[in-house]
Amino acid sequence: MPQCSAKCGKNAMLKRPKTGDMLCKECFFEAFENEIHFTITRAKLFKPNTTVAIAASGGKDSTVLAYVLKLLNDKYKYQLDLVLLSIDEGITGYRDDSLDTVKQNRDDYKMPLKILSYKDLYGWTMDEIVAEIGRKNNCTFCGVFRRQALDRGAALLKVDYLATGHNADDIAETILMNILRGDLARLNRCTSIITDSGDGIPRVKPLKYTYEKEIVMYAYFKKLVYFSTECVFAPNAYRGHARMLLKDMEKIDPSVIMNIIQSGESLKVNETATMPSLTKCTRCGYVSSQEVCKACILLEGLNKGLPRLGIGKSSKAKRILQENSPCCKTQNCLCNNK
Amino acid sequence: MCSVGDDGFDETENLKYMPKKEKPSIYDKCNKCREEPPCIVLRSKDKYCKQCFLAGTIHKFKALLGKHKLIHPNDRVMIIHKCGQPSSALLHFIRTGLDLETHKRLRFEPLILFIEDQLHLSLEARQELINNVEKEVGYFNFPKYFTSITQLITASPPENALQAKSELLKLGEDDKTILDRFLEHQTNETNKNDFLNIIVLLWVEVAKNLKCKFIFTPEISSDIASQLLTDISTGRGPHVPLDTGFCDSRDDEVKILRPLRLFDAKELAFYNHLNNLEPVTVRARKDEPYRSIQNLMKRFVNDLQMNYPATVTTVLKTGDKLSVDKESNEKCNFCNAPINEGNEELTSAESTQFSHWVSTQTPDYTVASEDRYNKILKSFQNISFN
Repeated sequence: MPQCSAKCGKNAMLKRPKTGDMLCKECFFEAFENEIHFTITRAKLFKPNTTVAIAASGGKDSTVLAYVLKLLNDKYKYQLDLVLLSIDEGITGYRDDSLDTVKQNRDDYKMPLKILSYKDLYGWTMDEIVAEIGRKNNCTFCGVFRRQALDRGAALLKVDYLATGHNADDIAETILMNILRGDLARLNRCTSIITDSGDGIPRVKPLKYTYEKEIVMYAYFKKLVYFSTECVFAPNAYRGHARMLLKDMEKIDPSVIMNIIQSGESLKVNETATMPSLTKCTRCGYVSSQEVCKACILLEGLNKGLPRLGIGKSSKAKRILQENSPCCKTQNCLCNNK
Repeated sequence: MCSVGDDGFDETENLKYMPKKEKPSIYDKCNKCREEPPCIVLRSKDKYCKQCFLAGTIHKFKALLGKHKLIHPNDRVMIIHKCGQPSSALLHFIRTGLDLETHKRLRFEPLILFIEDQLHLSLEARQELINNVEKEVGYFNFPKYFTSITQLITASPPENALQAKSELLKLGEDDKTILDRFLEHQTNETNKNDFLNIIVLLWVEVAKNLKCKFIFTPEISSDIASQLLTDISTGRGPHVPLDTGFCDSRDDEVKILRPLRLFDAKELAFYNHLNNLEPVTVRARKDEPYRSIQNLMKRFVNDLQMNYPATVTTVLKTGDKLSVDKESNEKCNFCNAPINEGNEELTSAESTQFSHWVSTQTPDYTVASEDRYNKILKSFQNISFN
C-alpha cells in the first residue's frame, strides 16, 4: 500500500488526477480545500462583510462549490453571507428533479434559496420553447436566458457577488472552442476569474483551477448529495468536439488542462483586431454588445413565431426587427429613409 | 452552451435535409476566366481550369512573399526540405519564380538543407532515401546540403555535420539509440517531441554559418492549425504568433518564414501533378494518435476539418490576430522566445505549483487551521521559481 505523499503516515487511498500524487482521504480534503482557499485569497475574489449568491443547479459543481464555500467561510472567517440562487428552466423530468436536490442543499447547508423561473422572467419554459423551435439550437436559448436570469436574480437579491461552479475542465474546453470558432472577444474574456457584467455584480469562479475529476472525487468521499443526469435536450453541440479532444488529451497527460488555461491567460490580442464594445440593450436595458440584446431577439422571435430569429446572421435579425417594429409602419419613420 | 447554428452559415429555411452536394456538370466553366472547362474543384465549390489554377497558385505564393516585403534582392534563403508534396511544390515555385524573364521574377538566392530523420528505417533504406532526394532536388539546380538529425544534434559546431553530396554523408546504425539517449530525460512522447524543437535553433545556427538571412519551412495550413492547438495545449500560448505566423522573428539575424501556410494539401498535390513532379516517398513512421499531444492534435484537426471545412482557416485566422508581448527583454535560453514577466495576477502556473506543494506538505494538526494554512503558504512563497 503506498504511503500518503503528504507524509502524514497513513496509507494512500486515491491518486489525485491534477498532480498524480497518492493521498489519503483526509490529506486530499485538506489539499483540495486549501487550493480553493489559495485561489480565493490570492485572486482577492471576495471582500469581507459582503453577500455572495451561489448559482446552484443541484449538479456536482454547484453542490461542491456551496459546500466548500461554506466550509472555508467558517474556517477562515471570510465573513460572507451565502445564499443559493437557482434557475428553473422548466424542463420536465430534469430540472424539477434537480431542483429537489437544490432544496436539499438549502436544508443541509442552511443557506437561504431563491428560485427564478424562465416562465416568470420570459413567459416561456424550455419545454414550450423546444416545442416551438424543434430540437436544434436549444442550448442557444437556454444559455442566453439563463445567464440573464442569474444576473437578474443576483440583482433582485441585492448581492455583491455571483459565484458559479465553472471548473478547470469547463474553462479549458471554452478556450479550445473559442479558438476553433475564431471568437476572439470571448477568448479574451473567458479566462478571467472575475468578470464584470457591466451592471455592477461581478461573477467569480472560485473553482477555476479545480479539476472536474477531483470535484467528483471530493463529492464522492464526502458523500455529498448531487444530481448527475445530462440535460434531456443536450444535442450534438459543437462544444462536444472540444470536450472529446480535452478528454483524450487528459488521458495522455492530465496537466494539459492547466496548460491550456495558462496559454489562454497569456494570449495577447492584436491592437488592430476589432473587438465589440459594451452598451445597453435598447429594449430591456440589459448590458449587450449589440443594439438589441440576444435575449430580446430570441424572445421576439418566439413571440412572433419566427423561431430562427436569433440563430444565424445578426444583420438579418436586425433587419427583421426593424421591419416589425411599430415605428416603421408609418411613412415618416427615419429607418425607412436610411 | 450549444452553439449549433450560431455560425450563421445556414440561410435556408428548410433544414430537414442535408444540403445537396453540387455535382459538376459538363457545362460548368472555370470560376475565374469563365471560358475553359474546369479541371479541379477546390474547397468543394471553386472550379478552376488548368491555366487559371496554375496561375492562381503561383500568384498566391508570390503574393504572400511580396506582402510582407521582408526579402530583398540577393538575400540568401535556406530552404528546409522534407519529403512530400509541399516541399517539391515549394522548390518548383521558387525555380519558376527565379527563372521568369519579367521584372516580376523572384530575386533571392536559395540553398537547400535536407535533414534525414527517418530513423525507423534500415540503414540501406535511409541511404537510398538520401540518394533519391539528391536526385530530385538536383533537378532544380540549387546549392544543396545534406545531414542527418543525429549528426546535426551532436556535432559542434552544427555546420560540421553538413555534406554537399549525399554519398559523403555517413549514416550510423546507432543513430536512433543516440537520439533516444539524447531525449531520455524527457518523460513522455509529448515532451520528447517538444524538446526536439531544439532543431529550430540548429537551423538558425547553420543559416548564420551559410550567411542566410531567411529560412523557408514547408509547413502547410493544416500543419499550422495543429501546431497552434498543440502550442496552446502545452502551455505555449504566448509563442503562438511565433510558431504559426508567417514570420518567426525570434532571432535577430535569421527569420523563419512559412510561405506555404495558406495552401492545403490538395492544391499542392495537384500543382505537382500538373507539373509532372513526383516527390520522393518514404514509409512514414506509424504515428499512434494517443502517444503524444502532437499526434492527437494532427488527427483531431484532420477529422474536424472533414465535417467543418472552415476549421483550418478559422484557426489560422485566430492565430493571425494574436501578437507577441513586445515589452519583455529577456529571452528563453532554450527556445529563444521572449519571456513575459508575470504581473501580480494569479495564473494557472502558480496555481499548479501550489497544488504540487500542498500535496506533499504534511499538515500540522497541532495548530489552529488558519495558522496551519499560513505555514504551508509561507513555505510555498519561500520557494523561488524565478
